[in-house]
Amino acid sequence: MNDEFEFYAIDPAREPSERAEIKAFLAKSGLTYEDGIEIFVLGRQGRRLIACGGLEQNIVKCVATDPLFRGESLSLTIVNEVINLAYERGHSHLFLYTRPNNIAFFAGCGFYSIVEVPGMVTLMENTPIGIRRYCDGLKKLRQPGARIGAAVINANPFTRGHRYLIEQAVAASDWLHLFVVAEDASFFPYRDRFQLIKAGVEGIERLTLHPGSEYMVSRATFSSYFFKEKNVVGDCFTAVDLLIFRDWIAPALGITHRFVGTEPFCRTTNKYNLDMKYWLQADLSAAPPVNVVEIERTAQDARAISASEVRRLLRSGDFDRIGKLVPPTTYELLWSKYRTAADGASADAAA
Amino acid sequence: MTTSTKLRRSMLFLPGSNAAMLSTAFVFKPDSIMFDLEDAVSLREKDSARLLVFHALKLRNYRAMETVVRINPLSTPFGRQDLEAVVRAGVDVVRLPKTDAPEDVHVLEREVERIELECGREVGSTKLMAAIESASGVVNAVAIATASPRLIGIALAGFDYVMDMQTERGDGTELFYARCAVLHAARFAKIDAFDVVFSDVNDDEGFLKEVELIKRLGFNGKSLINPRQIEQLHNAFAPTQEEVDYARRVVAAAELGERQGLGVVSLNGKMIDAPVIQHARVVLQRAQASGVRR
Amino acid sequence: MKIVKEAIAGTLESSDVQVKVAPSEGTLEVVVKSEVEHQFGAQIRAVVNDTLGRLAVSEGIVLVEDKGALDCTLRARVQTAVLRGGAVKDLDWSVL
Repeated sequence: MNDEFEFYAIDPAREPSERAEIKAFLAKSGLTYEDGIEIFVLGRQGRRLIACGGLEQNIVKCVATDPLFRGESLSLTIVNEVINLAYERGHSHLFLYTRPNNIAFFAGCGFYSIVEVPGMVTLMENTPIGIRRYCDGLKKLRQPGARIGAAVINANPFTRGHRYLIEQAVAASDWLHLFVVAEDASFFPYRDRFQLIKAGVEGIERLTLHPGSEYMVSRATFSSYFFKEKNVVGDCFTAVDLLIFRDWIAPALGITHRFVGTEPFCRTTNKYNLDMKYWLQADLSAAPPVNVVEIERTAQDARAISASEVRRLLRSGDFDRIGKLVPPTTYELLWSKYRTAADGASADAAA
Repeated sequence: MTTSTKLRRSMLFLPGSNAAMLSTAFVFKPDSIMFDLEDAVSLREKDSARLLVFHALKLRNYRAMETVVRINPLSTPFGRQDLEAVVRAGVDVVRLPKTDAPEDVHVLEREVERIELECGREVGSTKLMAAIESASGVVNAVAIATASPRLIGIALAGFDYVMDMQTERGDGTELFYARCAVLHAARFAKIDAFDVVFSDVNDDEGFLKEVELIKRLGFNGKSLINPRQIEQLHNAFAPTQEEVDYARRVVAAAELGERQGLGVVSLNGKMIDAPVIQHARVVLQRAQASGVRR
Repeated sequence: MKIVKEAIAGTLESSDVQVKVAPSEGTLEVVVKSEVEHQFGAQIRAVVNDTLGRLAVSEGIVLVEDKGALDCTLRARVQTAVLRGGAVKDLDWSVL
């Protein structure tokens, strides 16, 4: 078809002049260049840039075509090229965020809506059976009861505070579904975090531990473009994340309550909890509301136990204090895998 | 004299990777339709184009036309698989790119025969066409053209050839010798000769000028990349009314001579011999196909 | 033929079809999405299932995003995706 068009991929980090060209090209379509994009597919007619599409891991971003060519299959071709490139890079399950007015176009490219923040942004994936299958799997894990709770933890690392929160949540529910954030953007990689959580909840009954999934959205890869808009409660990222929970995950498991810990020292968490109440409880979705229940964190030495505190202590090698904040299973891993050479040397010297 | 009775004025190139084109191109009526698995198809799509063409070849609408497939060279990882696919699917002619020496044809011939035997296709039914794309090919044109009874024609391919010659496409001067060499080789071997693709689809005047030249030289046909060029080319190859009238008289005289058992045919008191009669037949054949030149 | 890795074939252009395959244990799930679902959905499914059957594909997830492709295009794309996703590279042309 397009003997005159040429498509090729570039690493924007290595091609500053092409990156600048892409920026200008995106601006013409009202899009903002995103620094996290790892690779771009460019379409050129001769020397002229006429289409582009970017990938950040498995998120498709910054797709634009020159208005002169719209209506021809150029837009389809550029998306096709991005999808093929993603496959080559090992990503077959792709997501994208887009404004509602572009949903139809991406639907024509084989993308399917997951959730929409009304009038703002829609999250889509490139399969009709992605989130549906995930939820079908969840349905098999439904438990009977009138109060079905849920909690989402990152646990970076798992502390006594987490244990406390979970115990409280289980006590207040007929069953608790515990989800682990899958994103590997924390100090402790997902595998370690999950293992510590699993060990840490040992013995607690009426609890199901769910491994992380691609449907707990990642702030790191969320399109920063959408943050610019102010007239929505909270920011779009939070909204998408919570709407997925409300519209898909909660109904699949019959969740009625979601538990969160209060974070007296952290303004961001406080705001997040407020947003959570809005998106999960307000009358804005066809899915039933989920009650948000805040649990006060336990204190140890008059300070709330937090994972960030543990990490701070880890950096300074204060294992005595760490031992008071984390269960033995967490302590074990921190000591064996995460103490620094300095601690080891001093420990050996002492032994 | 030449045994070829099939008109091959126009050979339409289609990229084998384009599903939409493959679905609809039979509405154009070129003399031959060529599915390209080689240069028009990216490396990533070689396998998918092969299968698209494999299935397209079996469509009734394409079976009704003469089908050609340009396979990848047999020295590539793709060539042999291409051949397996298209011979089994019933392609009429396999076009071998970058034919530099008669041995290339022999290798191809052996492969084709092996596949015909394996899949039960009539041995010899798959015809061949050799594309000359280099100085080697031009120099070996005669040997190539006579390398196999399966060959129905040789084609000059301009793009790769001019690169091999360290020049670029221009007004045709750069193809002068190659065209003549390919043409003579074809005539010597009594097979068809095909000229290069004219790639500027917006330059009608340039296209027609080139068609006029190669027709005058004696080429049987030309490779095309745009369906619009088909009618233009057929019209350029169409004889004038005068030519048709004269051709009719020639053929009538020949048939009369045959009926009367005369050893010699004459028209207007002059002897006319076999090449003249054959040419007249070709003229009438072209007129039958596309009418008289407009 | 066993699908051992994810693979994709075809494009989203008009008259074409995009086929994606992924491995799966124990079941074969075929999902077809088409602009002409109403008139041709059943036929598309039949062609896809027939093509898969001839390749002896009994397990996997096959997603078909149809943009008005002819049966021959559909067969070709399904076969390409399966071959790309399979472990075996040698083809038995008689089953295609």
